Amino acid sequence: MTRAMLEATDVVPVQKKKEKVYLVTLKRLLKNKLAVAGLVIICLQIAMAVFAPLIVTHEPAKQVLSASELPMFSEGHWLGTDNYGRDVWSRIVYGARISLIVGITAVSLGLVGGITLGLLGGYYKKMDGIIMRVVDLLFSFPGILLAMLIIAILGTSLVNVAIAISIWSIPSCARIVRGSVLSIKQKEYIMAMKSLGASDIRIMLRHILPNATAPIIVFATMRMGTAILSTASLSYLGLGAQPPTPEWGAMISQGQSFMWTSPHLTIVPGIAIMLTVFAFNVLGDGLRDALDPNMDIQ
Amino acid sequence: MKKSLWFAVLLIVSIVLSACSGESSSATDGKSSKADQSLTYASTTDAVGLSPIMTNDSASSSVIEQVYETLFNRNPETGEIEPNLAESYETPDANTWVFKLKEGVVFHDGTPFNAEAVKYTFDKLRDPATAAPRASLLEPVDAITVVDENTVEIKTKYPYGSFLAALSHSNTSIVSPTADQKQDLMNQPVGTGPFKFVSWTPGDKIELESNEDYRDGAPSLKKVTYKVVPEVNTAISMLQTGEVQFIDALPTEQIKRLESMKDVDIAKKDGTPVYYLTVNHEKEISKDAKFREAIASAIDRDAFVSKLNGLGVRSDSVVGPKVFGHDDSADTAGTPYDMEAAKKLVKENGFDDQPIKLLAANRGNYTLMAEIVQAQLTEAGFKVEIESMEWAAFLDAARAGQYDLTFMSWSNVTGDGSELLYPNFHSDNIGNSNFGRYNNAEFDELVTASRTTVDQNERKELLNQANQLMVEQNAVVVMYHGVVTAATNKSVKGLQLDPNGQWSLYNVSRE
Repeated sequence: MTRAMLEATDVVPVQKKKEKVYLVTLKRLLKNKLAVAGLVIICLQIAMAVFAPLIVTHEPAKQVLSASELPMFSEGHWLGTDNYGRDVWSRIVYGARISLIVGITAVSLGLVGGITLGLLGGYYKKMDGIIMRVVDLLFSFPGILLAMLIIAILGTSLVNVAIAISIWSIPSCARIVRGSVLSIKQKEYIMAMKSLGASDIRIMLRHILPNATAPIIVFATMRMGTAILSTASLSYLGLGAQPPTPEWGAMISQGQSFMWTSPHLTIVPGIAIMLTVFAFNVLGDGLRDALDPNMDIQ
Repeated sequence: MKKSLWFAVLLIVSIVLSACSGESSSATDGKSSKADQSLTYASTTDAVGLSPIMTNDSASSSVIEQVYETLFNRNPETGEIEPNLAESYETPDANTWVFKLKEGVVFHDGTPFNAEAVKYTFDKLRDPATAAPRASLLEPVDAITVVDENTVEIKTKYPYGSFLAALSHSNTSIVSPTADQKQDLMNQPVGTGPFKFVSWTPGDKIELESNEDYRDGAPSLKKVTYKVVPEVNTAISMLQTGEVQFIDALPTEQIKRLESMKDVDIAKKDGTPVYYLTVNHEKEISKDAKFREAIASAIDRDAFVSKLNGLGVRSDSVVGPKVFGHDDSADTAGTPYDMEAAKKLVKENGFDDQPIKLLAANRGNYTLMAEIVQAQLTEAGFKVEIESMEWAAFLDAARAGQYDLTFMSWSNVTGDGSELLYPNFHSDNIGNSNFGRYNNAEFDELVTASRTTVDQNERKELLNQANQLMVEQNAVVVMYHGVVTAATNKSVKGLQLDPNGQWSLYNVSRE
């Protein structure tokens, strides 16, 4: 009630209040040790992706057929080499780049689509029926199957993988946004805006959306993990990255023929995928708790 | 309290009992398996059918080879063609073949094997109404006449150079005419071979038993089971535990694992399959001899073959060392590996600014070849993108010519050079089995001559000339010639592999 009045009347205190909200959220997040661990892993990974050319010891696609399948901790190759004599560490580092780029692209595209549909569906009662039935339809497909179907239509490439995963993200994002919109729409400050004659677009973008950011942030973070895992799965099935791209899932698929002689070829990229997905998931969990207005500020 | 005590006692007793029974049963199993002469073979795919007339796949022919017999056989050691169901043959003129058949041979259903059976089988195989997948084997045949009970005369439309090779192909095996009229040989095969058909559970297993009346004496093995195990890793594990005793076509990356197993013997033999890189001969850039030379000199085939764990033979020759028509001089006749020369050619001719699509099937050694060749061509300055596809989609795309470079292979069942060069490279077969769309009038003439000449020495020379021509022009880059493989339990003795990957169980026994 008080918050609504502040928003509608005075701008300056709101700004101050917002800053305070961020600080509080951050404080709460930092208290969650798992979430901090996730954050650290993600930061390291981003650093790895950005500075990849400085970190790697070898060209990721450079083959040395005479030095293939070297075990871990070999001289010059601390994570060993694969079947073609390519340095596993360098491929993992470049793989981080691919995973993050595909993940961020897919999630952003999915957010744009999901937020649009969610806002429209939640705000306009007439559109709600149609939009939500389309969303239900998308939901009825098992996720990876939907992505495979889309790739079968578009053809195999990393770009198409990003598109497929983004389409798969749309329905859950749309539902979350719609839910928030429905509840925010009933708030007095929105009623006040309406009675003051503000346009629908202005209300949706300036007043409803900013108040629905918390669940969207949580969704996006969690979704990053799923997106990276799906990229790896699709590449594992041969539908994503084409050789010799150093994609983690593709690395596992190639390494699996050598499970018995060189297990590190599957285990190392497997751990990379696991750590990344774990990091995004715990960070998402932590963010959800930290952004929950019902939690006590201690 | 009392109840739980009773329960505990009961549990312990039952565990002890089950352990005892488990032990005793496995002990008897071990003994009996040593005594009985049975063999289980694991196949990654089920047979399509068991009629030699209606099938053309290796899973089917591995069964057909044991149940049926052909008129001739290629000796797996010497490579010479020897009479099998035939006794001898004569060629009164270039278009007439007279075959004397072995006497006293009987099909599994009691029907006598005679000239009538041969005529029946061949007429059915070549009849367009049958639509047999390998009808082409008898395409040159004009008429078949029964001279007497054990003599058959075959007239050809034109001299058929590789006729005997065709007659040693498992798809020209002789079937029992009475059985074929009565039942479907696809499910209930009847031949003259050392093993008789017992049962087939599609998707699970095929069972054979020994033919006690076989003309050269009954085989040692009494029972043979072909088990379908779709996943090769599972098949290898089953071999390790002794659940199956025989697998073949071993993947190169599993060789080290198999070699480390104690109770497993690995058989390798230089074979007839050839794996090659071909340009799409219809693309403008491929018509430039310099382009083909640059590609050939950029690919380090020695380094590649070293990656195959001994399952590949290095040679520049398209007609492999185990194929009729091969001459040693062709082995080193190709453009040698020279990265510097390749870089120079690429730069001088501006090949570096044209994107090249390398189409590859995503199975077996095709991926291995694609990745290594892509890296080497990239080093030479080419801009190569791999497009990998699942097998069926790959064949469609390759047949339609949607590529600049691709890998192909040919397993030559008859072991005759004409059967390799004609389907793969003759202009008659562009859009069909000539995937590279190679079109060379001089080459066509040589291959046609090799098919219509009956004199074997002359044929060999013609095939060699055709082969040398291809190698010299870098029409394809031969990556390697296949090695056929099998892994067996140590108790299995006497298995002999044919260079085409097929095998006979007649001389196999268990110790």
